[in-house]
Amino acid sequence: MEIIIALGVIALVIVFLVVQYNRLIRLNVAVDESFAQIEVQLKRRADLIPNLVETVKGYAEHEKSTFDAVVTARAKATSATSLTDVAAADGLLTQALRGLLAVAEAYPDLKASANFLSLQEELSTTENKVSFARQFYNDNVRELNTAVKTVPTNFFAGFAKVSEREFYEVEDPQSRQVPNVKF
Amino acid sequence: MAEVGNFRGLQAANKRKTFALLALFGVLMWVVAYAALTYFGGSSAFIVPIAVGLSLVSVWGSYYGSDRLVLTMTGAKLITESDNPKLFNLVHEVVIASGLPMPKVAIVVDQAPNAFATGRNPEHALIAFTTGILDAMDRDQLQGVIAHEMSHVANRDTLVSAVAASTAGAIAILSDFLMRMMFFGGRRDRDSNSNPIALVVSLLVLIMAPLAAMLLKSAISRKRESLADATAVSFTRNPAGLRSALEVLARDSTVVQQRSTAVAHIWIESPLDAKSVSRLFASHPPIEERIATLRAMESLS
Repeated sequence: MEIIIALGVIALVIVFLVVQYNRLIRLNVAVDESFAQIEVQLKRRADLIPNLVETVKGYAEHEKSTFDAVVTARAKATSATSLTDVAAADGLLTQALRGLLAVAEAYPDLKASANFLSLQEELSTTENKVSFARQFYNDNVRELNTAVKTVPTNFFAGFAKVSEREFYEVEDPQSRQVPNVKF
Repeated sequence: MAEVGNFRGLQAANKRKTFALLALFGVLMWVVAYAALTYFGGSSAFIVPIAVGLSLVSVWGSYYGSDRLVLTMTGAKLITESDNPKLFNLVHEVVIASGLPMPKVAIVVDQAPNAFATGRNPEHALIAFTTGILDAMDRDQLQGVIAHEMSHVANRDTLVSAVAASTAGAIAILSDFLMRMMFFGGRRDRDSNSNPIALVVSLLVLIMAPLAAMLLKSAISRKRESLADATAVSFTRNPAGLRSALEVLARDSTVVQQRSTAVAHIWIESPLDAKSVSRLFASHPPIEERIATLRAMESLS
């Protein structure tokens, strides 16, 4: 009888350990997968840009500085590899694209062209996908980091070789700026 | 207590309430079975598994094939990405935000703006939109509607409503059987001297049970709608989109052509005329209440 109880307790402990270990691994994989999704969407956005720049150029040739900003930001974004670099380049490109679309506002012919309209839809859906991918990644990181820091999963983090991960934070100068108040 | 306006708090509160309602269903089932045994004596015990079995078979059959069944019941047509790239873009955005697999997308040719989600699990999910809703709404509003539908998928609401429907069905079948037995032949164990008060109470229980089951089913459906609104905000972090979509639905007075109550609960806005159905039996919370809750979330962010 005692043997059965002892075996039962051991089995329960093993199940408990396996569940904790698997949870950590699952959370860690989810973070990797969601980072891959960010990269997929950033790539999609980078692929859209040459076409967009060409279309806008056809109507607004002399906005050279805006085009240059977009092209430089795109080059940086496509070469970045580490999480912080990717996030920084992503923020720059988002800002440059905003500038390009603001330029387009001034050219009614351009805004009315079918090519531009379809590009605009593509771009706005890609922007949304990029920001949702970031949000999903950060949610996964938050869940992983909480698990790494709280009982009982924190005891297994070292054994599972899972540690806290970095959040994907985009430097967006526009959202950091203090509003300019005039009296 | 849930913090009003916080979607995480709202999600947790709605889940707790659904669980409590499902537990109440179990209690009701047990009370009905007990009342049957008190009234008819042990000889009627065989009816309980029959009623439960009948109900399970009918509801779970439709649950398993829900994606195909609902297509035929609502006349929805599956579409591919080339039919409506913008709609697919929007659905894909919400798919990324929620981490769910891509659902099948269908269109119902109907002027009334409405939408629904079904399917037994996220892998077999189907979301459908009327042509009316696609015409009436802008990008942000549609994104809110899609997020609401994908929330039903994420929260497994087809499963929850199948559980509610099969329990309500079992209770209805059970009390129907027992009522018939009462008319034809009545109690078998007439000689046994049982408590008359217990007999009256169990008779009352048998009469009231189907009504109580309907009320519980509607209450669960309403809780799931509120939960889907909260989950939708957790996906898009944009309560304003869904809020203004609901305002469009509230302003619009046209209702979906087919007024079948069988599929009423799956739409985003109740297709039945709200005034003719009493609040307690409504499958959806009042749209003004949903708008107010979303507005409270907006003021928080």
